[in-house]
Amino acid sequence: MTLTHSFGENIARQVQYRSIFKEKSNEALRVDERQLDDTVLMTQISRGNEKALAELYDRYGRLVLSIAYQIVGQRETAEDITLETFNRVWEKAHTYQPDKSKVSTWLTRLGRNRAIDILRRENIRLDKDSLRWADVTTEPVTDSHNPEIITHLTMQQERVRQAVASLPETQREVLALAYFQGLSHSEIAQSLNQPLGTVKGRIRAAMKTLRQLLTTERPNY
Amino acid sequence: MDKNEHTEIIELIPAYALGSLDAAEAVTVSQHLAGCAECQAELAAYEAVVDTLPAAAPVLAPSPALKKRLLAQVQSKREGKTAVSPQPTFWQRISHALRQPRWQTAVALAALILIIGGLFLWQQTNQSAPTEIVLTGTEAAPEAQGVIQVAGNGREGILTVSGLPPLSPEQQYQLWLIDDGQRVSGGLFSVSADGRTTLTIHAPQPLTEFSAFGVTIEPAGGSPGPTGQRVLGFNL
Repeated sequence: MTLTHSFGENIARQVQYRSIFKEKSNEALRVDERQLDDTVLMTQISRGNEKALAELYDRYGRLVLSIAYQIVGQRETAEDITLETFNRVWEKAHTYQPDKSKVSTWLTRLGRNRAIDILRRENIRLDKDSLRWADVTTEPVTDSHNPEIITHLTMQQERVRQAVASLPETQREVLALAYFQGLSHSEIAQSLNQPLGTVKGRIRAAMKTLRQLLTTERPNY
Repeated sequence: MDKNEHTEIIELIPAYALGSLDAAEAVTVSQHLAGCAECQAELAAYEAVVDTLPAAAPVLAPSPALKKRLLAQVQSKREGKTAVSPQPTFWQRISHALRQPRWQTAVALAALILIIGGLFLWQQTNQSAPTEIVLTGTEAAPEAQGVIQVAGNGREGILTVSGLPPLSPEQQYQLWLIDDGQRVSGGLFSVSADGRTTLTIHAPQPLTEFSAFGVTIEPAGGSPGPTGQRVLGFNL
């Protein structure tokens, strides 16, 4: 393949791409919340900017819904949890502290904690075989139109899924029961009919491997 | 600090971060953490790991109605708050003050500055905006759409597709990057049941230097060159 082009050809292509992009960017200019950083969006939300909340939902609604669904196993309940999470953001955005956690972390923690509360309160019983981690295939992780957000979340998804997929099945299983069901070591041991020490060892090994893979494989993690 | 206790506790930090310790152990760790900087650092590292785990949950696509419900709920809260507020809001007070004659010249000047600033920003945005390449469905897949968002140094991008029919396990979609009639593979992908997926592209040259892009149906594992039906395309 020829990797070089005449200056004129390149300019002509750039102009045509630019013209395609301009049509889209005109739309983006009217809704400039799409370009804002997450923490700036939170400030806008705390001032009552509904468009900022809509943009935050586009960025992370899928993530919150997916984690809630994996925990409670019911779409309707997972949607209610997602709504509750973003309503809480609307009301409590002024309490968000950027130095404590990223916005996406704050949201997924809120969603996960609420889902586990409901799981326990309503005594929802899930088949432990239905709990699963995604395979390594990437899936659309956001509805945002912000290219930086899409790139960041997609690459993170790819990296984390590969790391989890590299764990032995026995470790993935205990990790899923702890993370998606909020079960303690004793509860997991009872659920799987395994010795307590075995469960502890598997969780510790899984977490150590993930830490190693996620902090050393990619320096930009 | 008891060294033996520290050695035991530090082994419990991964499970503490995950929230899977039994109550008695969690209390012990919590008490130890208050006075141990090394364990606090360990905890921060493991919490960062836990915070990435949502990315490994299978994705469930929200229905469009969910966003509408959220915005309706927020709107109704806003209206509820307005209705019970007997005092003028901050913005109402500002608006009233700005209607006074002595403020009108200042307001006109501020508007002019905002317009000039806006034009400058508009120009900057157009200069620095990342490029998107829109792929459209062929007759074989008229519902299909795709967008390549160019990122980083221009050689990386994300292809997001929708409306593509799911394939049998023996087949995969393959993206082709085309330049002067030469085709290189941009990657293989399958789509979810709702016809969507994303693909990370690592190209040998800036994506905007390719003259065309195409997606074809190929045997699983891909082909050295396109052999199957073309479902998405873009030509300059």
